[in-house]
Amino acid sequence: MRADRPDIPALVAGLALLAFGGVLLLDALDAIDLDFGLFAPVACAVTGAILLANGLSRRE
Amino acid sequence: MRRDRAAGWLGGVCAGIARRYGIDVALVRLGFVVATAAGGLGIALYALGWLVIPAGETRPRRRLPTGRGAIEVAFGTGLLLMSALLAFRELGIWFSDAVAWPLVLIASGGALIWRGSATASPPPQEALTAPLVRAGGEVRDRTGVRRVSRAARAISRTGVGIALVIAAGFAFLQATGALSAARDVILAVIVVVVVLGVIFAPWIVRLVRSLTEERAQRIRSQERAEVAAHLHDSVLQTLALVQRRSTDPQEVAALARRQERELRSWLAERPAPGEEASLAPALEAAAAEVEDRHGVPVEVVVVGERHLDAHLEALVAAAREAMTNAAKFGTGSPVDVYAESNADVVRVFVRDRGPGFDPAALPPDRHGVRESIVGRMERHGGRARIASDPETGTEVELELPARADR
Repeated sequence: MRADRPDIPALVAGLALLAFGGVLLLDALDAIDLDFGLFAPVACAVTGAILLANGLSRRE
Repeated sequence: MRRDRAAGWLGGVCAGIARRYGIDVALVRLGFVVATAAGGLGIALYALGWLVIPAGETRPRRRLPTGRGAIEVAFGTGLLLMSALLAFRELGIWFSDAVAWPLVLIASGGALIWRGSATASPPPQEALTAPLVRAGGEVRDRTGVRRVSRAARAISRTGVGIALVIAAGFAFLQATGALSAARDVILAVIVVVVVLGVIFAPWIVRLVRSLTEERAQRIRSQERAEVAAHLHDSVLQTLALVQRRSTDPQEVAALARRQERELRSWLAERPAPGEEASLAPALEAAAAEVEDRHGVPVEVVVVGERHLDAHLEALVAAAREAMTNAAKFGTGSPVDVYAESNADVVRVFVRDRGPGFDPAALPPDRHGVRESIVGRMERHGGRARIASDPETGTEVELELPARADR
């Protein structure tokens, strides 16, 4: 019996959102100072990773 | 992974990565250019790739995503690159904004223009040989891709690319303070471009339309020639054999069954039973089939091996037709087949010791040599040469450039 394959886009989206949540949490705890210079690359990376995983999974 | 030097601009690092992972090579190049803006990181990564990745032929791992998947991959890659750039900027590994951002815009626009020009260029041979289907006024190939919308997408992609490059120029002029000085010149250029655009737009539109129609006609005519060559090699040959062996009902039934299977596979666009994936087994299978049908020994020698693509399949089909002719008209003499392939070219020689013939004196209704051999090779970017002499027999030389983009 074949094991179910993980849903890669959902997995990437979940991990990316976890990382994003972690950054926001660190900001709330004043461990980091979340300004635009830090927020913009993180937001771009999260969105980009989700889109890339979703796009690559479509061709299969 | 291997560097694809033939398809590359420098060392073939980007082309090798793109081929290995099924990504558009323009996107990989864009990535390296953008990374170069971040303190020259792209140059260092490229040099490292050149050093550690060996050159050679990479087998493609996956097919390119298409449609919405391609858009998502492009935007996703762009956002990841943007994220890396912003991070490098925050860390201080950065040229000035006046240089880096226009460079990013130029790289993005250039990639889009290259991609658009690649899509708008003549279609590959696979697309030429794919049947065209008209449905609801649209022309589609067998992959279901709308030809018209593909051209429209290429034009819109090129338009966005041009806009990005122009924006990059303006951004650079603005950042360096040169825009105010060049304002009058730029305004004059814009006015001239608009005026010329309005005057020449009808001719340009008409020219593009006529070129599109001409291309569609050429594709249809090539498709007809491919179908005619295939029917000649398969159905007509079998019908000729059926006539010759009409006294043996079992043999006739076996021929009909074999032909039916082959024709059904061809119509369903799946490999025929026993169809081989590389050159040597495919030529040997064709030789065995000719031996079986005509009772003439066919000796095959192959030097070098190559994976079959649509072009090499056409080469094998042309060689099969040459072997059939040699078996039919060579008065029972053995047929010799010699094939060699190297990095640049694949050659197949088919020789018999029959009485020979004059290729120039062939009647126009005989499609065997004219369409199934010579025409087929030319349609796939190769050539066929026939040397025939009553003393030494006939030799057919088939030659096909090894590159896929011939």
